[in-house]
Amino acid sequence: MAEPMLRLDDVRLVYNRGRVDEVHALRGVELSLQPGEFVTVVGSNGAGKSSAVQVISGGARPSSGRVRLNGVDVTNWPDYRRAGLVARVFDDPRIGSAPELSIEDNLALALDRGRRRTLRFALSGARRRLLRERVARLGLGLEDRLHDRVGLLSAGQRQSLTMIMAGLTAPRVLLLDEHLAALDPATAQRVLALTAELVTEMGCTTVMVTHNMDHALRMGDRLLVMSRGRIIHDIPHAGKSGLTVAGVVDLITGSGDVVSDRSLLADLETQEAPK
Amino acid sequence: MLENILIDALVTGLPLIPVFLGVYIVLRIREDFDLTVEGSFALGGSVAAIMIAAGIPPALAMLAGAASGATAGLVTTLLSLALRLPVLLAGLVMNMALFSITLRVLGMPTVSLSGATTIFTAIAPAPGRAADLATSLVLALIVVAILTAFAVFLKTRLGLALRASGVNARMVRSQGVSDRGMLALSLIMSNALSAFGGTLMVQMQGYADVNMGSGIFVAGVGAVLLGVLFVNPSGSQVIRIAVAVLLGGLLYRLILVAALRFGLPAGDLRGVTALTLVVAVAAQAYLAPALDRYGIRLRGWRRRARPSSPGESHGVIPMEASHG
Repeated sequence: MAEPMLRLDDVRLVYNRGRVDEVHALRGVELSLQPGEFVTVVGSNGAGKSSAVQVISGGARPSSGRVRLNGVDVTNWPDYRRAGLVARVFDDPRIGSAPELSIEDNLALALDRGRRRTLRFALSGARRRLLRERVARLGLGLEDRLHDRVGLLSAGQRQSLTMIMAGLTAPRVLLLDEHLAALDPATAQRVLALTAELVTEMGCTTVMVTHNMDHALRMGDRLLVMSRGRIIHDIPHAGKSGLTVAGVVDLITGSGDVVSDRSLLADLETQEAPK
Repeated sequence: MLENILIDALVTGLPLIPVFLGVYIVLRIREDFDLTVEGSFALGGSVAAIMIAAGIPPALAMLAGAASGATAGLVTTLLSLALRLPVLLAGLVMNMALFSITLRVLGMPTVSLSGATTIFTAIAPAPGRAADLATSLVLALIVVAILTAFAVFLKTRLGLALRASGVNARMVRSQGVSDRGMLALSLIMSNALSAFGGTLMVQMQGYADVNMGSGIFVAGVGAVLLGVLFVNPSGSQVIRIAVAVLLGGLLYRLILVAALRFGLPAGDLRGVTALTLVVAVAAQAYLAPALDRYGIRLRGWRRRARPSSPGESHGVIPMEASHG
């Protein structure tokens, strides 16, 4: 078997160790992802999904265990050093881009991810053409608004822009941390379609955390169910295709966790409602 | 009268433009407060004054002065990062420390440059109206060169990273930029600029004084707010940034010089500085929205985006309040 693109070895993450509010966010996570593999991650609140993303992106340093990217031990690398390998899209559309800067400046910033920031001009003619062409593919008309401040865009436009930014430098690993959570259903569908398109095109290893069981089942080749800081189910593509939304919910509740998510319950209702 | 006021404002205001540019970097780009600039201004001026008085070429002395400011900025960064002090507090500490260091550099509270060769002596041997005009011309050339170089720098990949780093640290880090590095860069640059302004000031006024930096931070904030009130550049409009600093700085100086010319005692100038700042802030907070209601657009101080919970609106989250 080929060297995994992403590997977590017994990763533990403890917040506020030794204090009354000590939290064990991750309790020994083992994960190995092959190049190009696309996994979706579900679990109730506090299951450790976002902590896992943090550990992979470098936003949090594990209390113990190792993180390997493409065979390199990156456990002690800060997030900005990993950015050349790992691209990330946040749950809050406002985090992924700088509101005070123009669309093209935001894109130019992403174009140099993982490279030294030199004293060459950030935007050349060739770069502008490339960025315009990338943005045009969104079909949102943003290619004519490249000088507009990103702060003027809607949440959906901003999240789409962040997706484009993430894909500009062909990352090895793409982390999507509930990146549709703040979008209305129609916008979420559009950004989801864009996600599928970009992931297929880049062929990068992708981890998509979601609260939407339907998305979790439809996207990706593998489904991880997390509970209380561990991966409790690791369902390959074959097993996944037989699952229903209710089945996934059973997997989560079966671990003793409460399913509190509104969108999830809404999904259940629509599924169970007699036509 | 008016001519005198204008020339006075130019001669005394232009040396301060690099300082105000430094304040702009930290205040508007990093959204932070660095009081080190006050100490750097006096330190840079004093280092240059001592060297010029010793007969060293002024250009070299000015470079050394700027370097001393850059060092001060670096120390503030290290204090802030190593001790996890807020930049405001680290700058406050440095400001105190730099007073003693500047006094050591000067050896006495004031050092005169009379008789020494400055950048102005060659072109303006005799004091008077012609000399003032020549002085302001030289200063204007230097200031325009600095503002242009700064605007070009902001357009580079490094400059873009600096512009992005202030508001959204998580975002710039996810794009592979070290926000600590950007903090260091911004403080080093702003203090080097402030010290450089000090070297211009001592040559213009003919002496260095250990207290010359006192109050200059608040003056810088007032000037930047004034400039922003009229120009309001976004983070991507680098030419507007340069114009805002120049306009705000000269306007601020014009107010001070006019107050002086109209008979206000020199001791009241600090009060005028404070008042300018208050009026600039008030104008942005109250006057701009009020005028906006009557269709008059005064470009305002940027509003910070307010966090709004998902679900509060249907799908499209308002990213930030519009101006006015």
